[in-house]
Amino acid sequence: MDALTIRNASAMPAPTWGWLRMNDTKIEIPVDLERIRAVTVEADEDLTETHASFEGAVADLQKRVDAARGDAEDTRACVRAAQRETESLDDLDTPALSAYQLRATRDEIANDVAAAFETGVHVDARSYLNFLAGSTVVLATESGDDEAAVVRVAGEAGGAAGASVDVVAAADSSIDLTISLDGNAAGSDAAGLIGSELRVFAGARARVSVTVYITADAGFTVIDDAGYVLDEGARVDVRHIVLGGGRTYTGLASDLRGDTARMEIGTRYLASGTEQRDFNYVIRHRGRKTISNMDANGVLTGTSKKVLRGTIDLIHGCKGSEGSERETVLLANQGVDNKTVPVILCDEDDVAGNHGATIGHVRPEQLFYLGCRGLSQEAAEALFVAAKLEDAALSAPDEQIRANVVRLGSALIDDFADFEEEIA
Amino acid sequence: MAKQRTEVADIDRSLYDFRYDEEGFERLDAGLTPEIVTEISQRKDEPQWMLDFRLKSLEIYNRMPNPTWGPSIAGLDMDHIVTYVKPNTDQKADWDSVPDDIKNTFERLGIPEAERSYLAGVGAQYDSELVYHNMQDTASKMGIVYSGIEEALHEPKWEAIIREKFMTLIPPTDHKFAALHGAVWSGGSFVYVPKGVKLDFPLQSYFRLNAAGAGQFEHTLIIVEDDADLHFIEGCSAPKYNVANLHAGAVELFVGKRAHLRYSTIENWSKNMYNLNTKRARCDEEGEIEWISGSFGSHVGYLYPMSVLAGRKSKSSFTGITFAGAGQNLDTGCKVVLGAPDTTATVETKGISKGGGIQTFRSSIVATPAAEGSAATVSCQSLMLDDESRSDTIPSMDIRAKNVDIGHEATIGRIGDDKIFYLMSRGISEEEARTMIVNGFANPVSKELPLEYAVEMNNLIKLEMEGAIG
Repeated sequence: MDALTIRNASAMPAPTWGWLRMNDTKIEIPVDLERIRAVTVEADEDLTETHASFEGAVADLQKRVDAARGDAEDTRACVRAAQRETESLDDLDTPALSAYQLRATRDEIANDVAAAFETGVHVDARSYLNFLAGSTVVLATESGDDEAAVVRVAGEAGGAAGASVDVVAAADSSIDLTISLDGNAAGSDAAGLIGSELRVFAGARARVSVTVYITADAGFTVIDDAGYVLDEGARVDVRHIVLGGGRTYTGLASDLRGDTARMEIGTRYLASGTEQRDFNYVIRHRGRKTISNMDANGVLTGTSKKVLRGTIDLIHGCKGSEGSERETVLLANQGVDNKTVPVILCDEDDVAGNHGATIGHVRPEQLFYLGCRGLSQEAAEALFVAAKLEDAALSAPDEQIRANVVRLGSALIDDFADFEEEIA
Repeated sequence: MAKQRTEVADIDRSLYDFRYDEEGFERLDAGLTPEIVTEISQRKDEPQWMLDFRLKSLEIYNRMPNPTWGPSIAGLDMDHIVTYVKPNTDQKADWDSVPDDIKNTFERLGIPEAERSYLAGVGAQYDSELVYHNMQDTASKMGIVYSGIEEALHEPKWEAIIREKFMTLIPPTDHKFAALHGAVWSGGSFVYVPKGVKLDFPLQSYFRLNAAGAGQFEHTLIIVEDDADLHFIEGCSAPKYNVANLHAGAVELFVGKRAHLRYSTIENWSKNMYNLNTKRARCDEEGEIEWISGSFGSHVGYLYPMSVLAGRKSKSSFTGITFAGAGQNLDTGCKVVLGAPDTTATVETKGISKGGGIQTFRSSIVATPAAEGSAATVSCQSLMLDDESRSDTIPSMDIRAKNVDIGHEATIGRIGDDKIFYLMSRGISEEEARTMIVNGFANPVSKELPLEYAVEMNNLIKLEMEGAIG
């Protein structure tokens, strides 16, 4: 199969040993997919008819960042190291930086919001999704607004469809965005691709909530790429519900630029059969007293594979900031492959960073308990999968997304359709 | 009101930072060529297979890239590194026969006194060669072999074993500096503990690199047979120069069934050193490896002892501390492969960074499909002593086995003002308070060391903390 390949996708900012094959991934896109328009946007006109732009909001923020910049010379050792032309041992008090530490220090010196903007998957993935989308939908709030919008990408077998969305949340406004990435193969074996490319600027004290549901059938490749910039006091809540898709790539990068900005990310995922899940989260704390929390919870069954890269980057100057990352994984079958890399990069002392992970199988005693009640191991595993799907269905933001979850669940579990009747 | 920042003053490292002339020493040319590699082998009168191994390693070295994920090693120019420096003496078995300068070096480092007090045997390497090796009669009578590895290579009985094991845990293809080691290794120890033998007192090897612009490439090979028990201590130091020195040693440990090996290291290389060392242990059924590691020195450090738990119910524990001060970028941690059923691993590390130093904890836990019923826990705590330093944590887990439990936790932070305030309110100065807190932070590591080494480690922490308050 001929494929277009995006290399170094979802790369961690600070790589580890190459032999672990966790640093990044490779996205292969079949070249014979037909570009289709399958995106619908449900939003009030006052949200879409706007002259605001993501670039404009970033430029305004840059002016304030420049105005706040002090003119005191930064003589820290890492700055000296980044500014010297060649590395030598003439000055033994200047450390030899690694490539990512050098990049980080140079970014810090430049202090350029637009240049530092990034998304979680890859700039090439963004370009490809932009090409599929044809144009970018801009959703912009006015100060004091409380808005909601839904973007649906409905993929078909043999087709490739993508959405490109910019959200510009004005100061003191709020917006609730739902993105549904659904691919219904309708029994076809043909491959398909769906994706969304999202840029969010959350203005001062704005509240932005983004929920992404991925409910594609196993033949689909799904790319969910996003980048966020948060101004002072902004709060962003993101929920990623990843239930389907043969290969899914979820990437999120966030620049907590303003003081007291806060980012909350909740990820719930399920992978079955031979499905693959790839997550890359990068949270850069730049403002003072910024907070981030990442909480991932998933079930892997069959011979599925998952990689979760989570990076909390506490950048010099983000005094009083806190970053936290938690992951709980249930390995419901012996053939699964679970990879986790929870990274904390810390260039500031007055901060707190922590992460934890619990990775475990269904314990023999738990299986025994269930066995005593007439449940085989397969039935027990199906129970865990069903629990994930039921939770997703119950919390689905609308009927259409709930129907997508039920369709997916019915393909995985024989009697899952009964659940639909129960909750109807 | 802005908080007062601490300032870092120069550290008095005179305990370790002294040097002697190299009169009478033999230096090969700087750089790395097949001729140099061949000459090292010929000087040691090695068997042909070892020369072939060296030359093959050199080929691998030449085609492998430098690592791109860790601290920069751009300041290390192999064309200016002398890979072999022979001191003006052969190996001795009594200190009185060792030339004065070299003997004085080890006297100042306290090695002969330690040998008299509590060690079962000592090996001392100066630059590229062992200059002293001795073991107490009681240990000899137990059948324990503790000698220079080159010496053992000339014994037919041990040559066969060395040939079977040498660089099998750390193959030259593992990474560029493993290949370099395979090409130019020199010196190091060979330890063999027979079945069922338990040695109550530790053996120690101490490595001193005196020569400016030189490399040290010692190879340590330890075999602890079934049901045996050993504690091995490794120490190292060097005087400070303004040119790069290189340490690319290798440690290969084979732990038999139900055997136990504790491997303790206090690393205190000078701050112009590139420490690119590799350590690896393989444990058979119910075998146990304990790593105790203190990393204090070096300009750049890459150090990740690795445990391969190949036997059912085998165990690994890693307890480590890394202290990165001004000018240092120390990338340390460990690797564990859970490769058999019911294996267990614990990792507990502490990292401290200060004065613009950079400390990175890097780890991997890999549970292969064979590791059913295994468990691992990783705990990593980092302490930032000022806002000029950096502390990164890059752990990874790859879990493919059935019925495993893997737990991981990490925290990064600084000393709380409330703790300093509390101690100062009891009449303790701020400097003392900080040192006390850092010593307490390091306590889980120091308590695992023999008393004398715990004292040395605490002294190193004190040295690093000196002048930390402005």
